[in-house]
Amino acid sequence: MATDLVPNQVVPPAAEVTPPSPKRKRRARPVRLWRELLRYRWLYLLLLPGLVYFIVFKYLPMYGLTIAFKDYVPFVGYSGSEWVGLKHFQELFTGPDFGRLMFNTLLLALLTIVFVFPAPIVVALMLNELRIGLLKRSVQSLIYIPHFLSWTIVASLTYLLFSVDFGVIANWIHGLIGGQKVDYVAQADWFRPLIVLQLLWKQTGWGTIIYLAALAGVDSQLYEAARVDGAGRWRQFWHITLPSIAPTVVVMAILTSGNLMDSGFEQIWLMTTSLNRDVADVFDTFVYYIGITQGAFSYATAVGLFKGLVGVLLIFGSNWLAKRLGQRGLF
Amino acid sequence: MAFLPRRERWGYNAIKPMTIGSRRRIAAVLALSTALLVSACSGGDEEQAASNELTMMTTLFGTAPDPNGEVQQAVEKLIGKKLKITWVPNAEYGDKTNVTLASDNIPDVMVVNEKGPGFVKAAEAGAFWDLTGKLDKYPNLKPADEQTAKNSMTNGKTYGIYRVRPLLRSGIVIRKDWLAKLGLKEPQTTEDLYAVAKAFTERDPDGNGKKDTYGLIVPKWPGNYASASPYDVVETWFGAPNGWGERDGKLVPGFDTPEFLEANRWMRKWVTEGLINPDFATLDTANWNDPFVQGKGGMIIDVNVRATQLLDLFKEKTPKDFDKVTLVGNLKRPDGQKFSYPFTGYNMVMAISKQHIRTEEQLDQTLQTLDKLASKEGSILLTNGIEGRNFEVDGEFAVPINQDDAKVKAIQNDVDKAFIQLGTRASVGLGAYRLKPNDEASRKMRDRFDVLMNEDLKTAVFNPALGVVAPTAVSKGQTLDTIIPDARIKYLSGAITEDQLKAQIKRWYDSGGTQIAQEVNDLVAKNGG
Repeated sequence: MATDLVPNQVVPPAAEVTPPSPKRKRRARPVRLWRELLRYRWLYLLLLPGLVYFIVFKYLPMYGLTIAFKDYVPFVGYSGSEWVGLKHFQELFTGPDFGRLMFNTLLLALLTIVFVFPAPIVVALMLNELRIGLLKRSVQSLIYIPHFLSWTIVASLTYLLFSVDFGVIANWIHGLIGGQKVDYVAQADWFRPLIVLQLLWKQTGWGTIIYLAALAGVDSQLYEAARVDGAGRWRQFWHITLPSIAPTVVVMAILTSGNLMDSGFEQIWLMTTSLNRDVADVFDTFVYYIGITQGAFSYATAVGLFKGLVGVLLIFGSNWLAKRLGQRGLF
Repeated sequence: MAFLPRRERWGYNAIKPMTIGSRRRIAAVLALSTALLVSACSGGDEEQAASNELTMMTTLFGTAPDPNGEVQQAVEKLIGKKLKITWVPNAEYGDKTNVTLASDNIPDVMVVNEKGPGFVKAAEAGAFWDLTGKLDKYPNLKPADEQTAKNSMTNGKTYGIYRVRPLLRSGIVIRKDWLAKLGLKEPQTTEDLYAVAKAFTERDPDGNGKKDTYGLIVPKWPGNYASASPYDVVETWFGAPNGWGERDGKLVPGFDTPEFLEANRWMRKWVTEGLINPDFATLDTANWNDPFVQGKGGMIIDVNVRATQLLDLFKEKTPKDFDKVTLVGNLKRPDGQKFSYPFTGYNMVMAISKQHIRTEEQLDQTLQTLDKLASKEGSILLTNGIEGRNFEVDGEFAVPINQDDAKVKAIQNDVDKAFIQLGTRASVGLGAYRLKPNDEASRKMRDRFDVLMNEDLKTAVFNPALGVVAPTAVSKGQTLDTIIPDARIKYLSGAITEDQLKAQIKRWYDSGGTQIAQEVNDLVAKNGG
């Protein structure tokens, strides 16, 4: 590690005791690091597997990102493929797809923030107000079951329920409103509402778990004190419950913001048809399509890398914003 | 560090102070574990275990056969080599091909689409053997049909042995009992077809007193333009080129012709009038048969073997009364002219990877093995099965036997759903022995395949550009490929107007199609089509 920074290992132990001058302190620090390492060597040894894991599975593969700047041909290999600089990025930014992809991805992200993100908070708060424990627990269990279904099943269910030919819900709505039959699963106008509905159905229950845990952690003495002071339920909610879960909400918001560019590949891929592709194409499905289906590995990597960079910017941005607004950030 | 336990609590004194040696040990552990993990990721580079093993990858239409099953053992005995076969479900074959090409574990013999961008790039980089002119030495690999051999080339180079298929398989499957009930004749022209569809939709062919049927069943088509979809077939009937065609001395894509627009205008009328299933943009191809068997729709435009498939399904449902299917060939357009939609005569090729087969000598050995596999004996094994076990020979026919025995049924399934895909000479629809079904209806249907094929081949419209792939199509396929099929579906469903459809065709040209057209013209001129 820092061995090459250590000029000499024979600094007398006194260095630790005497208050060092600035100059000596700088020279002594690496030594202290070594001592620290030596002293807690068993703890560091425990850290090692985790460190190796991250290096091997998260950092070494990043070497593969170099193909975003090459014309990668698998047979020739990483080193044999020709460098092409920013060609693929240029192609992406000037290509006919970029604007549409960006718009679709961001719009879906916006819809997620507005409709999907607050849903678990609202449901958790409502569950928290329930007095009957059994009801609360059973409702909670029931609404997080959908989380365990795969997207393939959710998509199949959607087709079954909303198909224009035999969809139960589609036919029911048709019977209720009448008029022309609407093809919910194929029409471009209905793509985004269906995606949001699916997300709400599948993820809301699961999302409540974290907020319910935060709510359970609120000191009940606070509520007692408030009641003594004459606060009603609404007041208690406003001045105790909400501020108590605010930090959790902020942390969740920051974490979510990093995933804004991830539009849920499986879900969108399964719901895409010829009729709604214009609104359905997002970066994730595009990467799959050009990389796996078309075999354009370099271009796909460039698109993925761009998406990743935007994700990092969003995390830092929202963290900064959270701090600016007086909340504790994530880092 | 303040929160770390103090040394007393860790019994610091009880442990020997760390020595240089132990530090080295840790370094060694770290280095070793990293090395292990890294090599685990990039493993598999070792030499193929001599030449007595052959790895293959091909398509699968059912469940993967047992590697120790009877068929595989019989094949291994025939070729004198151990086989390691990667069976990939047909629906995800294209994706799996690209992933495999990107890995460092390419099978020795790989069934591939020789025009797919991923394969073309790999082959041009030298990942596969160029077999041009090399196959003539091998009696069973030597192309039996020159035109098909040409079609299966990639810009003048043979990268694989083509897997033969019947040259014409298109047809219309129709509910025979519905036709009879409504007093209709089998359609000969597109106008007849429209009349049948109209009657199937409006004249209550199932006799339940409700208007709950439609004429034609069309699924969400997974392929691109000119991929034998029902739309492509209908466009050909109207006289549009099949893929590419000559107009004013130049090759143009089929969708840039008035006939293409006319055909689609006609089909749009079908959609508006409810003659096609309303979910034609979303119906999964896997469920294509369901509305037909359930009696919701009365016609399917697809390959002829779907007719026998549907017969079997009806037989399962009502064994006593299942003769409800008829097959009609390609149709004349309103002015009486007939254009038929042919197939390419093959389906993907068997390419040989250079990863383990490095020398000409090894290549020769591999080709000899494949030659054995394509021999008469090999073809019988791959397409019919094991004689005396699951079938008997009756003249030129194979008659299934012992099908009630679970083990024999397994052999039959392994052959029909899997091993038949390894055949290059005899294959689907072209078995070494022709199948003799055990019921009269299926027998008649199979006989009809040949009659219709020979009749329609006289008017078949061939694609002159089959043997070439434009470089721009390889590099820009991702943006171009979906434009036309998507626009076509949108137009048919009424989401866009004809002017907007034309605008999409122009968009195809503007996004690189102009270059593709130029390149295709040049390449066809160079390679002689």
